[in-house]
Amino acid sequence: MISIKDFSFTYKGSDVPALSGINLEIEDGDFIGIIGGSGAGKTTLAHSICAVIPHYRPGDFYGSVTVNGMDTIDTPPEDIAKITACVMQDIDSQMTTSVVEDEILFGLENFSVPAEETEQRITEALEEAGIPELRYRNLNTLSGGQKQKAAIAAIIALKPKILILDEPTGELDPQSSVRIFKMLKRLNEEHGVTVIVIEQKIMLLCEYAKKLAVLNRGRLLEYGSVREVLKDAARLKETGVSCPRVTDISEELRRRGLYTGPAAVNVDEAAEIVKGVCEADD
Amino acid sequence: MKGLLEYCRGNSFLHSCNPLIKIAAAFIMCVGCFMCSSLIYVLCVIGITLIAGYSAGVGGKVLKIFTSLLKLGFILLLLQIFFISEGHVLISLPFGIRVTAEGLHFCVLLALRIAGATLPLALMLMVTKMSDISGALVKKLHVPYKYAFAITTALRFIPVFADEMNGIIEAQTARGVEFDTKNPIKKISLMLPLCVPLLVSSVKRIEDSSTSALLRGFSLRTYKSGVKTYPFHLRDAALLSVAAVTSACGLLIGILI
Ligand SMILES: Nc1ncnc2c1ncn2[C@@H]1O[C@H](COP(=O)(O)OP(=O)(O)OP(=O)(O)O)[C@@H](O)[C@H]1O
Ligand SMILES: [Mg+2]
Repeated sequence: MISIKDFSFTYKGSDVPALSGINLEIEDGDFIGIIGGSGAGKTTLAHSICAVIPHYRPGDFYGSVTVNGMDTIDTPPEDIAKITACVMQDIDSQMTTSVVEDEILFGLENFSVPAEETEQRITEALEEAGIPELRYRNLNTLSGGQKQKAAIAAIIALKPKILILDEPTGELDPQSSVRIFKMLKRLNEEHGVTVIVIEQKIMLLCEYAKKLAVLNRGRLLEYGSVREVLKDAARLKETGVSCPRVTDISEELRRRGLYTGPAAVNVDEAAEIVKGVCEADD
Repeated sequence: MKGLLEYCRGNSFLHSCNPLIKIAAAFIMCVGCFMCSSLIYVLCVIGITLIAGYSAGVGGKVLKIFTSLLKLGFILLLLQIFFISEGHVLISLPFGIRVTAEGLHFCVLLALRIAGATLPLALMLMVTKMSDISGALVKKLHVPYKYAFAITTALRFIPVFADEMNGIIEAQTARGVEFDTKNPIKKISLMLPLCVPLLVSSVKRIEDSSTSALLRGFSLRTYKSGVKTYPFHLRDAALLSVAAVTSACGLLIGILI
């Protein structure tokens, strides 16, 4: 479980806090989507959970962040790294080797995964990320999207309990993005991995995440189930987060007084609602 | 230079040699080049490296590096040649400047030596994975992983920075800055200011990269950690012998002439 209490953080040399007054509890096995405009503090929040903050980024830290009962301030970051793994936003700087296969092997060797197991973990991770053919490629020769998949493969091979992904589909085509989210869902449902994903594509979050956290200018604006958060479409829009089009439909019907139920989060639900309204009309 | 020093996958003789032996052999060849002042010998070393390169399937790349090193050598040659005035005069220019046979020999030798000393190292980088270099350093020589990793990271970042520099130059060219000037002094004065943003971005890069390494358990690693072992084989002895014999010949010729 991740528990964040009255947490504020100001980067050294900056006078506005990047995050302030954050209170957030993430249960084991949750699938959380974090969304917010640029500079809202999403990356800062991800870094706070995986203990990059405060260990590798200097600044003023208030409140507490605990991961599985370990306070990130007093726990050596390696101990937190044993259960959390993070795919960073800046993929290029995440790479520590020059070949895809080695990139995956790097973490496995560090955590002393037994030699018998590494081969299987590498092939599985490559399969999951959908890039078995890139195994021996030089990282410098990959496209942005391929690199992103390689970075994801390197992280899932570690089999973390908590998986944090900072805009993992930023450079991916729509089909690959869906594939990555399907994989996250599988990890979440079949292996009980806690998934925290920062993502701008709200449609994907609505479909796959269980809960949404909305950040705005360093504050946690909303946190709850996808449906609850989407209900407040107008408020979301103010923060620069646009609702999925299907939610716009149910909310427009609500505004016109034609519908009173929960917000629609996918095409099927919207279709049902519209059908219901039409039938009531007849 | 884009991608020239990058590792090229293969399963040739050179690819399968022990990384440490490859490094040692490359260094021995370098040293040989500086032991001997015979032009023919240095040309032989370059020839051997090229043949080795072709046998490992990277001959074209080695040749490309060789030609760019020659260009560099030619600039050095121009800078030097007018300052050596002893010996048999070949060309006499105004202001008492002259080109002598000794001067020419010295400069050509210098240019070729630079190429001869660099090529084996370049070839070694093309046929050896960075992770194998650091792995072998740790496993065999018990170099602390931190230092081995720092060395290979530095090597790994060379092409990355070269790319970045090219990117900056392209961006500036798009904004109308003329980098395509033949005047080397003007070119340098245009490029120097770009080094500052490059430096800033690279410091950040390296910082982020080290954070990512730490998050993936970098600090937990000991020399026991790696799954790969780096045993020595007969072929390693063969490679080392070739390098040693070549270098010894250089030493011998150097003493004799
Ligand atoms: N290393 C740093 N030093 C100083 N300030 C920083 C640093 N990193 C981020 N900030 C500032 O903290 C605030 C939050 O940044 P953060 O990177 O968390 O935003 P984000 O929500 O991830 O944005 P994006 O969607 O662009 O990735 C921003 O105002 C940013 O300028
Ligand atoms: Mg970010």
